[in-house]
Amino acid sequence: MNNDITQTITRIAEIIISELKLEDVTPQTFDPDLDLVDEVGIDSMDLATIALVLRDEYGIRIDEDDYPKLTTVRIIAEYINTKLTSGE
Amino acid sequence: MTGQATEYKFSEIIADPVIKERWEKVRRYFFLRESTYDMSNRCNIRCEGCYYFAGEKQFAEENKDPEAWRQLLKAEKERGITFVVLAGAEPSLVPELCGVCYDEIPLGAIASNGIKSLPPEIDYRIHISVWGNDRTSLAIRKAPDMLVRQMANYQNDPRAVWVYTFTPVNIDEAREVTQLLAKNGLKITFNMFSAPVGYSGPLRHTPATLARTAQVMTELLAEFPETVIFSPYNIVAHTRTQGLHELFSCSYPRMNTSTAIGLGRSFRQYRTNLQWDRAAACCVPDTDCDDCRHYAAGSAVVTARMYRHATDPATFSAWLDYVDTYLAVWVKGYEKGPNLCDTPVIPPLNP
Repeated sequence: MNNDITQTITRIAEIIISELKLEDVTPQTFDPDLDLVDEVGIDSMDLATIALVLRDEYGIRIDEDDYPKLTTVRIIAEYINTKLTSGE
Repeated sequence: MTGQATEYKFSEIIADPVIKERWEKVRRYFFLRESTYDMSNRCNIRCEGCYYFAGEKQFAEENKDPEAWRQLLKAEKERGITFVVLAGAEPSLVPELCGVCYDEIPLGAIASNGIKSLPPEIDYRIHISVWGNDRTSLAIRKAPDMLVRQMANYQNDPRAVWVYTFTPVNIDEAREVTQLLAKNGLKITFNMFSAPVGYSGPLRHTPATLARTAQVMTELLAEFPETVIFSPYNIVAHTRTQGLHELFSCSYPRMNTSTAIGLGRSFRQYRTNLQWDRAAACCVPDTDCDDCRHYAAGSAVVTARMYRHATDPATFSAWLDYVDTYLAVWVKGYEKGPNLCDTPVIPPLNP
């Protein structure tokens, strides 16, 4: 379990880059405040895939109803850390 | 089978090479983003329970200007639409407009009654509606020799797939229709009559007709695997007493207020005047949402619920079968693989 937000952000960026096969960006250069839909171009199926990988990685459940809220890497990282802290 | 006893990691589920291969096959199509378009407010037949002629959309003025359609489709492509569904009332009556759509967005499907053939250069999937044998079609659709005419128009046409709509009065005729299509080397998939809002006629399904439909679908899928494009999970999802919305929480704008992502963000249903109304936008507007088991709705709604199906290999395989079926039905050239899950899986509950 890793509660450090910076590390969580980097790991999420890594997962997104890998799953979406993004080029010209690294986990370190990925702007955590980019809007994932408007600026990165991910759609609901991409997000569902990422959510499954995150479920594996962090052992948390990401509710389908929460997808619309998960608009940036930073918000996802905070969401994960909140879930980990609350033990959900 | 429930498959709910043990929760697997997603990586464990796709560690199975057969599941992994199917997952990689279907995920290549996650780029598809659909919208639908009423092409004409005219039809050459008038079927009982037709959702197009329910509600206000039938009164929209018809825009027949190809240039207006071209500009609309260009704008649609610009906002990320990659797949068009040309429907209501009868698109084959305006082939030039369908051609304009194809020129701009080359992936799509056309819902047609098949009485008038569409030009071969419009290389979309063509869904040809069939509502029973020709005696029943004459009674319900007031049109003689439907199947004979459809088959004459689309024999040996790789665009064509027949869509058999099960109603309470035609369940057992599906065998006769499937046999005939199989004999002619044609393809069929299944749809469920879903009542328009306010419909009180005899075509609304009951628990008994849903159960009987599931039984017949199962038999036909087993007997005609080369002809029937369907899966055991399609049967489960479309024949339960709960409709699609209750089972999977419909994600079309009409039932989904969020504009953040997915269908709630991108889907539009254009009327013949090229206008759309978010409050009414879904693939079968004016259908009673509580009774909706429509194949087009399921194709989007069940597919969108990947996360909840990734609980165990059987449930995820069932979902993959559903998506594989959806792609084979809607995307011309996509070949369906053998179903991975032969047993009926209970749909995971809404959270």
